[in-house]
Amino acid sequence: MDCCGGIDDHDEDCAEVKVKDSIDEGTVAAAKALESENYSAGFSTEIETEYAPIGLNEDIVRFISVKKEEPEWLLAWRLKAYERWLTMTEPDWAMVRYTKIDYQKIYFYAAPKAGANYATIDDVPQEILDTYKKLGIPLREAEVLLGVEGAAETAATARETPRVAVDAVFDSVSVATTFRAELAKAGVIFMSISEAVHEYPDLIKKYLGTVVPQSDNYFATLNCAVFSDGTFVYIPPGVRCPMELSTYFRMNAENTGQFERTLIIADKGSYVSYLEGCTAPMRDENQLHAAVVELVALEDAEIKYSTVQNWWPGDENGKGGIYNFVTKRGDCRGDRSKISWTQVETGSAITWKYPSCVLRGDDSVGEFYSIAVTNGRQMADTGTKMIHLGKRTKSRIISKGISAGKSDNTYRGLVSVNKKAEQARNFTQCDSLLIGGDCGAHTVPYVENRRMDAQLEHEATTTKLSDEQLFYVRQRGIGEEEAVALLVNGFVRDVLQHLPMEFAVEAQSLLKVSLEGSVG
Amino acid sequence: MSATIADLKAKFRDPSPAELELIARYAMLPEDGRRTRAFEAFALTGLPHRRMEAWKWSDFRSALSAVESAKHTGHGAALPSADDAIVLRVSARGIDLPKAAPDGLIFHQQTDAPALGNAEQVPLAAMTAALVGRVGGMDTLVVEVTGVVKAPLHVICAGDRDETNFARIQVVVRPGVSLEIVESHLGGAGFSSFLIEIAMHQGGAVRRTVLQRGGVDEAQAITALIELGEGSVYSQTVLAFGAKVARIETEVTHQESGSKAELNAAYLCGDGFHADITTHVRHGAPSCTTRQVTKGAVLNGGTGVFQGKFHVPRHIGQHTYADMQHQALLLEDGAQVFAKPELEIYADDVECAHGNTSGALDLEQLFYLRQRGIPLVQARAMLTQAFIAEALDTANEDARVAMLEAARDFLEAVS
Repeated sequence: MDCCGGIDDHDEDCAEVKVKDSIDEGTVAAAKALESENYSAGFSTEIETEYAPIGLNEDIVRFISVKKEEPEWLLAWRLKAYERWLTMTEPDWAMVRYTKIDYQKIYFYAAPKAGANYATIDDVPQEILDTYKKLGIPLREAEVLLGVEGAAETAATARETPRVAVDAVFDSVSVATTFRAELAKAGVIFMSISEAVHEYPDLIKKYLGTVVPQSDNYFATLNCAVFSDGTFVYIPPGVRCPMELSTYFRMNAENTGQFERTLIIADKGSYVSYLEGCTAPMRDENQLHAAVVELVALEDAEIKYSTVQNWWPGDENGKGGIYNFVTKRGDCRGDRSKISWTQVETGSAITWKYPSCVLRGDDSVGEFYSIAVTNGRQMADTGTKMIHLGKRTKSRIISKGISAGKSDNTYRGLVSVNKKAEQARNFTQCDSLLIGGDCGAHTVPYVENRRMDAQLEHEATTTKLSDEQLFYVRQRGIGEEEAVALLVNGFVRDVLQHLPMEFAVEAQSLLKVSLEGSVG
Repeated sequence: MSATIADLKAKFRDPSPAELELIARYAMLPEDGRRTRAFEAFALTGLPHRRMEAWKWSDFRSALSAVESAKHTGHGAALPSADDAIVLRVSARGIDLPKAAPDGLIFHQQTDAPALGNAEQVPLAAMTAALVGRVGGMDTLVVEVTGVVKAPLHVICAGDRDETNFARIQVVVRPGVSLEIVESHLGGAGFSSFLIEIAMHQGGAVRRTVLQRGGVDEAQAITALIELGEGSVYSQTVLAFGAKVARIETEVTHQESGSKAELNAAYLCGDGFHADITTHVRHGAPSCTTRQVTKGAVLNGGTGVFQGKFHVPRHIGQHTYADMQHQALLLEDGAQVFAKPELEIYADDVECAHGNTSGALDLEQLFYLRQRGIPLVQARAMLTQAFIAEALDTANEDARVAMLEAARDFLEAVS
């Protein structure tokens, strides 16, 4: 809420709002409490930050590459992408509207000035450690084991047991990666992609850009040119990753974009569960997040990728918020491999995101479970693509969209069965729930079947919360907001049960917070 | 026409040979404001092609490399006409009317028929509105329904190895009256395009039954723009056999409350045939209902396309009930079916749903019939016919029987 006419020096007095006489103090207090609670990750961290010069040109691409001390081949790769990006136009087919992005007014690189190559956790600036602690992401391994005092309850409690290894990405750099030594004992490589470029160049060369090619789409090509950091994971053959891996993305600096790149390779017969969380401070300007995630599952491997996306969604008038334009794709390259995407999307002003599976290996399986909640002025156009290329490939899509306030929520999906994908199977269910008369819920599925023996099923519904169900819950003495939250939790249960325990708790409370203020 | 061909060509982006031919035809037609507007709208898109979202699976520009004469006259038999049916024959020469209009119907032949609906928003409707008619002849037939019409209106569109066959009919249904329309579109022209606009006043009712057949070298478009008044009821049933490219497009607008629409269709496509059933329903008033069932069966080398969209605008579309189902059978390898069932909902107190399935015939059902001595071909035809029959239930009864027979004949012949 901007009650100072745009002047920055907010103070306590300024928070005094004139309230009509008819409204009792308790209500005002409760509303205020809600406001501050609404986006608990909205604080910013005071830390000296080093930026690349503002804007985008070839020199910026070179600047990032030099900062990362990258080999020549990677710089050439970036420059090729940049050249291509200059010839591309921003896509406009999604059902989202936003102010045109001025790429010359964004910092494409921002890092804590103290440097990002911290030898040990003790070298990481205290401000950053505190930031993650406040977000419920302890970066000190000992703290993870003991539990962190004062950490946000839901996330921290969930993360205590079992242990989760975390790669923390702060603006454009990875600041810490926990449990690396223990993971290395199992042969698991878990590090920032910048380090992996130096330590495992062969693996990077072999897989980078093979799932999401440089020319894939406008935002992916931009990412190829300017990606700054991200996570690299390699699970060797036959290894079941001993703990959950996770990356926590935090955008802190003003006017910056975050362009991380994640590459996960599950070699033959391996398994990994990977979690991703994201938050940003509450700011008045829009910030761009254009990430690329590539997953490769070889024979008999399985990757489970879960996201709780809680970027700052902007205020109730649509001011500020993150533009989340992300390309995520998994390649089931080996026979009997499996990739499962689970996402809870509550944040971002604009979401443009389609985690997909290329089902190349015979008998491979792709799954997509999604909850997308929009409130206020948020707009989300999200869904998945299941590309059936191999024989007997199976896919399942469960999407639950909830729209409230003045938001728009679109499910957009593609199920494509290639001529050679014999006995392919897909089931899709996408349900939309409208809360209030000023929001929109849309479903745009594309189904392309080129195989006689494929079996494809799709069903979708759009309804409001049932008055009868609401009445039933309320007559048991439960308040309206809580009753809505209960029913919404029931509506999304199919998806929540696919989230790892660590995230399920957090997701549930996020859902509740996201929908606060949407009733009445 | 005061504009030169060069001026007209300049309005198109890189016109194809077929578009150049259409531009030349337009240049020969008498000028009027409506025609000009329609042409301008058509020029914005040209012949629709795969890079246009709504036409990604039905590419008229590439299918029509040139406007050429069809190799055959109309394909197959028209739907049966009752003895007293009012028959309108549509050919490249124009529309032949019966000598006397029956009770309850008035025919207006005019060159300046008021535009109904939004013909200019559908590329092929705009093209038809721009190019229909000829010098000295009628360009649009307006049918006004003023009272009880006992017999159906049967429109038979058939070319005779023509290059084009474009026609436009507008139907105005006055309050409380009803009309039965039967249409047989039999091809026979390299490029046929038929545009029908129906405006229904309070309490009106229209049942429309459409049969589409075309040649493997022909392009066909059948476009209907329907506006529904308060409490009016519109029922549409289509059986399409496709052509090189064939699109049966229906745009329905619920303009006033309490109206009902039922949009059912079946398509059967053999080798080299393509049938596209596209519908767009706008619930522009509260408490309106739309039900839609589309069934299809496709053989090796055939393509079936279904695109459905329900659009419920903010606030005004409350209490909408809309249900869309599309189910397709791929009878052989090499068949393909593309579907896009879409919902765009901005009102909260609604119930909207869609379902979409595609797959093969149930092998157990086939086995059941075959073990009773029914050969594979007949067994498959029998099951497929039964599968699509649900979509034809709403047709005119005589037409329904003929359609089911036509479906069975097709399935047994191609097997």
